[in-house]
Amino acid sequence: MFFGKKSPDDVRAKALRSVAPSPLRDYLAAALPDPRTPAEELQLLAVDIETTGLHPRNDHVLSVGFVPVDGLAIDLSGARRFVINAGVDVGQSAAIHGLTDDQIASGSRLDDVVPEILAALRGRVLLAHYTDIEERFISAACERLYGSRMPVARVDTLELHRRLIVGWGESPMRLALRLWSARSRYGLPVYKAHEALVDALACAELYLAQVAEMNQHGPVTFKRLQS
Amino acid sequence: MTDVELVEVSDFLRGEPPFADLPANTLASLPAKLKVQYFRRGSVIIAAGKDNSSLYVVRSGAVELIDTSGEFMDRVEVGGTFGSHSLLSGTPSAYTATALEDTLALVMSGATFHELNAGHPSFEEFFDMQRASRMRGAVASLHTSAMGGAILKTRVREILTRPAVTAPKTATVREAATIMSTEGVSSLLIVEGSEIVGIITDRDLRSRVLAVGTDPSAPVKTIMTRNPVIASADALAFEVLMEMLARNIHHLPVMFDGEPAGIVTTTDLMRLEQANPVFLVGDIAKQRDVAGVAAVSSRLATIVEALVSQDASADDISRVVTAVGDAVERRLIGIAEEKLGPPPVPYCWVSLGSRARQEQALAADQDNAIILSDEAGPEHAAYFAALADEVTTALVECGYPLCPGEIMASNPRWRVPLSQWRREFSTWITEPVPDAILRASIFFDMRPIYGEFKLFSEVQRHILKLTPEARLFLAHLAKRAAENEPPIGFFRGFVLQKAGDHKDTLDIKRGGIGSVVEIARVLALSIGSREVNTQARITAAVAAGALSAERGEDLKDALEFISYVRLRHQAAKVRAGRPTDNFVSPNALSSFERRNLREAFSIVRSAQSSLGSRYPSSYIS
Repeated sequence: MFFGKKSPDDVRAKALRSVAPSPLRDYLAAALPDPRTPAEELQLLAVDIETTGLHPRNDHVLSVGFVPVDGLAIDLSGARRFVINAGVDVGQSAAIHGLTDDQIASGSRLDDVVPEILAALRGRVLLAHYTDIEERFISAACERLYGSRMPVARVDTLELHRRLIVGWGESPMRLALRLWSARSRYGLPVYKAHEALVDALACAELYLAQVAEMNQHGPVTFKRLQS
Repeated sequence: MTDVELVEVSDFLRGEPPFADLPANTLASLPAKLKVQYFRRGSVIIAAGKDNSSLYVVRSGAVELIDTSGEFMDRVEVGGTFGSHSLLSGTPSAYTATALEDTLALVMSGATFHELNAGHPSFEEFFDMQRASRMRGAVASLHTSAMGGAILKTRVREILTRPAVTAPKTATVREAATIMSTEGVSSLLIVEGSEIVGIITDRDLRSRVLAVGTDPSAPVKTIMTRNPVIASADALAFEVLMEMLARNIHHLPVMFDGEPAGIVTTTDLMRLEQANPVFLVGDIAKQRDVAGVAAVSSRLATIVEALVSQDASADDISRVVTAVGDAVERRLIGIAEEKLGPPPVPYCWVSLGSRARQEQALAADQDNAIILSDEAGPEHAAYFAALADEVTTALVECGYPLCPGEIMASNPRWRVPLSQWRREFSTWITEPVPDAILRASIFFDMRPIYGEFKLFSEVQRHILKLTPEARLFLAHLAKRAAENEPPIGFFRGFVLQKAGDHKDTLDIKRGGIGSVVEIARVLALSIGSREVNTQARITAAVAAGALSAERGEDLKDALEFISYVRLRHQAAKVRAGRPTDNFVSPNALSSFERRNLREAFSIVRSAQSSLGSRYPSSYIS
């Protein structure tokens, strides 16, 4: 695990001691959920980031979407979507994200968006489909802006899907692990658009379906969900 | 750039009533007020008797609503809503909502729901109707138009201006005339106890007393019209008026609850409205030849079109079409008798199928038969063959095509004496063969049109004596009633015709109206009811406990709604100068109508399955 054997909250508490006042410090000031928290009470933030590539060092964030999950309900009132003006040409990835250069040119600066993400994530678990990307890009931005990385508690719907599928005795085919095919397993609605907020919502819906499935085999706590 | 608009969610809502009618900006900001919840198959979303504070919109999956007595109420599919009932009434939920499939739902708080209700009448109206009972609301809203059709909507009871004025049978002519004069009435009912035995009018006093010099001290019964035709206070005004025009009478006694309630006059009725169908029936009765009848009856299609645009109910319009059909048939038989001479033995001309049920639509084939008196011998065959040919051919000329199945009086098989009809029915009922039942079912919807009605009553009595005990026969009918599935899929989408002339349309007769008719027929025969009209059969079934009151209401509303859609479709065809049919394109319906049509079809489907469990098919095979 990224932060060794320490619990995410230990890492958070330690980081809090060395961070100057900043949006990151505010985020770090709130305790992360206890592993014994039941799924019904667990607070998460489903996040999706569209980027130009997979590496925070070379690639750029193009858009960010997030939506809070309170226990077993998605709160659409907290849904947000930001298009980022990263000062780069979108190039080939426009085909994937559907963002045009014009939209990006009129977008926000990532530096202004990171505080929004941190505020929304405060006290919540980071929920994403393959959390690595979201975590690495946001954390890298925090390091650049505030001189410290961002410890998180995370739940990964891709990882849950892998566990559930293996648990069901099927071979974990790589294709089946894509977000959309995972959703079809639960008969979730089909979304046309492929952009950050819709993907965040899709991820949150998948999470609810997965928790519902896991609930059949005994109470689900954060401990069973986290990656 | 911050963008909180959840286009995917607002797009989804825009496609579903009642959200479709919300203003664009309200709709765009709506998703941000919602939550999303997921329910595993089998989980209870709202429990009956528990408080509920949200409206649920099914985003994916399906939900079943079961009322507190365990009766199926509705299946809510993608785009459908539930929970409004308790939000509007402020009472605990009247049903349990259970996820039938894994279900994702958009959840609206009670506060947001009430806000939308307050700001958008169409939104409020939608849920109001849903609450008042799905179909009932739909039917009512389609007929709220105040214009037109007064005579079609008014019951005789409502136009009786004063209580009945009566005189005992023992009164003298003078006493009767004195009563009429002091009461200021133009007609008087002559009674024996509470029974109406006769009627006298001003005209009778003129023509049967003064003109012929009758002694004023003679008993009134010597000049009265005996056993007059009597109307029920619940009859529709136009039905009574047509009866009067057809019989050329101007005063009709009305009974209510076994007591004389008054007299209606043609003037009373005419005052209600200058209703075209009424004059049409009168005109038909006056025609001297087939060509005349044909010319007059061709006005019917236009009248129906006008009635539809006046928002008369499908039930009422069908009665008009039926009444006109009856008038045409009666007149044509009369013309045939004038040509062939009086019948050598008594007979009764009966209507079968939709006309018998008083549910005739435009473009209906003729279905008829003759019940001959048992006195009929081989020597009389030629007369009735000629009569039947004259009438059926003339009916074609008047716009009633020949029955492709040859179920007509012109077919010698359906022109037989009473005793043979009895044997025929006995075979159908006691030794049912599936194929024969299928063809015979139309004969169980029979109504006398002309001639000796007693012959018909004999046949009917015979049928109804046998059917309640005929389990196997009823099981066959029930199976048939469940065979034509409503044109909706398991997931509530419409199932359209796949090919042919009617590609991409809904056949609303086969699995819609037809299925309700068949369900009602089984129920009526199982309780030995004399009713043939489908609405009346359902009422009778409810009264006899063969059907729950709620399902009865639902079925009637479903029938009314589907029939209404059919009539509107047919009226549009008439307007366009095209032949009428039963194939409706969903694109021609409003989203409101599509939704209610789906609900009507699912009511039919649920009634079919409950009938199926009453008469399990294992009983047959």
